[in-house]
Amino acid sequence: MRAFDQGADGVIVLGCHIGECHYDSGNHRTAKRMPVLQKMMEFVGLEPQRLRLDWVSASEGERFSRIVTEFVDTVRMLGPVKWGAKQPPAMEKRFWVDRRNQKAIIGDSFDSARTDAIQKRTRELLSSGEVSCVIGYEVGPRGRTRPAFVYAVDDVERLVWNQSCTHNLTTYLRQKLTALKDQQPDERIQVAIVVKPCDSRSINVLLAENRFEREQIHIIGITCDGIQDGAGFGKVEGRYQKRCLSCNNREPVLFDTLIGDVPVVEDVQTPNLAIERLEEMSPSQRMEFWLSQFDRCIRCYACRQACPVCDCPTCLYERDDSLWTGMNIEINEKRTFHLGRAYHLAGRCVGCDECERVCPMEIPISLLNLKLAQEVQEAFGYQAGLSVTPSPINTPLVEEVRA
Amino acid sequence: MSVISRATLADWLDSLAQEQMLIAPKEVADILLYHPVQSSAEIVWEYIRPVMSIKDAFFPSTERLLSIEKNGQNIKLNEFRPEGRQILFGVRPCDARGVLALDALFLETEPVDSYYARRRENTTIVGLACTAMAETCFCTSTGGAPDDPTGLDVIIYPLEDGYQVRVLTEKGEKIINPEWEMQDTEWLSNSALQTSQFEIPEKDSWPAQFDDTFWAEISERCLSCRICAYVCPTCRCFDVRDEPVHAGNGSNQFERIRCWDSCAGTVYRQIAGGHNPRSAKGERLRNRFLCKFYYYPEQYGPSACTGCGRCIDACPVNIDITEVIQHLQEVSL
Repeated sequence: MRAFDQGADGVIVLGCHIGECHYDSGNHRTAKRMPVLQKMMEFVGLEPQRLRLDWVSASEGERFSRIVTEFVDTVRMLGPVKWGAKQPPAMEKRFWVDRRNQKAIIGDSFDSARTDAIQKRTRELLSSGEVSCVIGYEVGPRGRTRPAFVYAVDDVERLVWNQSCTHNLTTYLRQKLTALKDQQPDERIQVAIVVKPCDSRSINVLLAENRFEREQIHIIGITCDGIQDGAGFGKVEGRYQKRCLSCNNREPVLFDTLIGDVPVVEDVQTPNLAIERLEEMSPSQRMEFWLSQFDRCIRCYACRQACPVCDCPTCLYERDDSLWTGMNIEINEKRTFHLGRAYHLAGRCVGCDECERVCPMEIPISLLNLKLAQEVQEAFGYQAGLSVTPSPINTPLVEEVRA
Repeated sequence: MSVISRATLADWLDSLAQEQMLIAPKEVADILLYHPVQSSAEIVWEYIRPVMSIKDAFFPSTERLLSIEKNGQNIKLNEFRPEGRQILFGVRPCDARGVLALDALFLETEPVDSYYARRRENTTIVGLACTAMAETCFCTSTGGAPDDPTGLDVIIYPLEDGYQVRVLTEKGEKIINPEWEMQDTEWLSNSALQTSQFEIPEKDSWPAQFDDTFWAEISERCLSCRICAYVCPTCRCFDVRDEPVHAGNGSNQFERIRCWDSCAGTVYRQIAGGHNPRSAKGERLRNRFLCKFYYYPEQYGPSACTGCGRCIDACPVNIDITEVIQHLQEVSL
C-alpha cells in the first residue's frame, strides 16, 4: 500500500515457491494476506489486478522476466491510478445505517436488576481480594454513561448497567494490568471487567495475541439485547445502534460470572445493505465515496485509541520518521491511515464499532472492517474472537508449519 | 429600526462569495462544519455550533511553510505565502473569542507568525449571535455571552422576523451594504441565555493542585486521542517536520509542514532517545487543563477557554472540563 501511496500504479510481490521459503512460513502467510488486500482494494475502487503475487525462485530468470512483462502489460492497460476525488456519488445521508430491523427500545433503559448483580459480584471480588480493580460503567453528572475504574468496596455503588453502556472496556485491559503490575510487582494482579458479548470477543483476540494471561482477568459477562444509539454522548433517542441491528450474539463468548437472562430476541439474517450498495457502484464511484468520507478525517486517532485490538506500541502512521505516511492532515495521508488500519484489523476486528461511534466526523469506518471480516470468514471460515485462535491471516496454520 | 430579511442577507452573501472565499456553517455528510460554500443556499442558518471551531481558517490543520528543492549541490528554498481573502459567516461568539486567544500568541507576541498574520489580515469575520445554548455551553461562565461581539467585524442578531446587523470594525464597514440601517447598540437578547452558571477558579489556584491525585483519577478513562484539542477553538499546539514530496517524477523535493498536535497524544512530549517526561495519562490531561487556566493566562492574559463546550460533547468517554473546574473550586475553597 505504501508503494501505491507513493505513486506506483502496480505492485508485484514475488516470493519463493511454497515450501521453499528460508523463513518457513512467510510465503504461506503472504499467500493468505494478499487476496484479502486485493478485496480491500476492490472495495475502495482500486483495480485488484494492480497487485500481483507470484512465486519465482532466484534462479528462474525466464519465469521472472515473463511474469514481470505480463504484469507491466496489465498495469499499462489499466493506466495510472487516479486517486483524486472529483464529486462523491449522490446518495442519501448516512445510507449505511440500515434500519430495517429497527425496533424501538421499550421502557426504562436503566437496568436495576443487572446493576444490583454487578455491584454484588464486584463487592465480593474486591472484598475477598480476588481482584484489585474493576473496570465497569458509571453515569457522570450530565447523565452520560462512561467507563469507571473501581478499587474500593465503598465505590462499588458507582457501577451501573444500562443500555448506554456502549464502550468496549477491553481497550483498557492491557494498560491497566501493566500499570498495576508496575505498582505492585510482587502481587498476583487480577482485574475484573464488565463485558458485553461483542466486547468479550476482543478478549479472545487479545488472549490469542498473548497480550495478557487468562488468569489475570475476571470476566463479568452481561447478556445483551442491544445498546442505544448516541450512547455516551447524551444523544440517545430510543433507537438501537447500527451494529446491534445485525448482531445475534446475546451471551458473551467467555466469562467467569454471567449476569442477566439470555434475552429472547429473534435472530436477524439480513445481509449488510450498505456493503451491497457500494459493491453495485462502479469502481470510480466507490473510490470517490471513500475519499469523500476520509476527507472529513482530522487525524485525531480516536478510532485507533478506542479500538481494543489496535494496540501497537507505536502506530505505523504516527512514527516521527514519517516512514509509512507523512504528518499532513490531508487526503492522501488520511486515506493511507484508514486503509492501513482497516487492513491491520482484518481477521482481528470483532465488530464492536467503537471506532465509528467515537469518530467526531462520523466516517463509516466500520464498513471497511465489516467487509474485510466477511472476506476472511468466506475464505477461512474464521470469525475473530469466537475462541482463543489467532487470525488465520496473521499466523501460519499448524498444518502448514508441520508440512 | 429596520429588520433585514434572510433573503436580503442571502443575496448579500452571494455577492460577497463572487469576490472572496465564503466560509459558513454547512452540512457535510451529516455533520455541521464551517466549510467553504459557493452560494448562500448551502448555508445552515439555525444551529448551536459546528463540530469544529473556526480556528482552521487561520491556523489550518496542515500549513505548508517552505518548499525545499535539492538539485545536486544546490538547495532552493521557497516560502509558501497564504493568499486570498476570505469571509467567515455565522461565526459564534465563543469562536470569535477563540480567535483572539490565538492572536495573543501568533500576532501580539514576538516573533509574529507571518502565515497566521496574513490569513488574519485577509479575513473578515461575520458573527451570528446565538438564540439557544446547548446543555454543554458555558460561555457566560468564561466571560463571554451568546451575543458577545468581541473579536467580530460584524455581528448579526437574529430576530423573530429577520435580522439586525451591527458593524464593529473598519473591515466590517467595507463589506456591508451601506444602505442598510444599522443596529448601533447592544442587542437586547434573551436574558435567560445570559446567566452565568459557575465561577472559574482564579488563575493562581491551579498550580497548587499540580500533585492532586484527581488528575490520575479522571484520566483513567482517557483514550489519549486528540479530539478535545482538535475541536477546541484555542488549542494551538503544532508539530513541524520536513517531509519528502512524492511527485512521482523522481525529483528531490521536500516541504516543511506544520500540523496540529495535541498534548493528549502519547508522543507529544517524547524527546530524543525515547524518554517521555509526560508519559502518564494524568500528567497529559493535567497539562491540557492547566494550559487553559494557568499556563496560557500566565503568558497572555485571560484564560484560554471560551466555554464553547465542544470538548465535552466530542469526548468519547465523557471527560468533562466543567467537572474539572468544579473539582478545583471545591479543593481551592
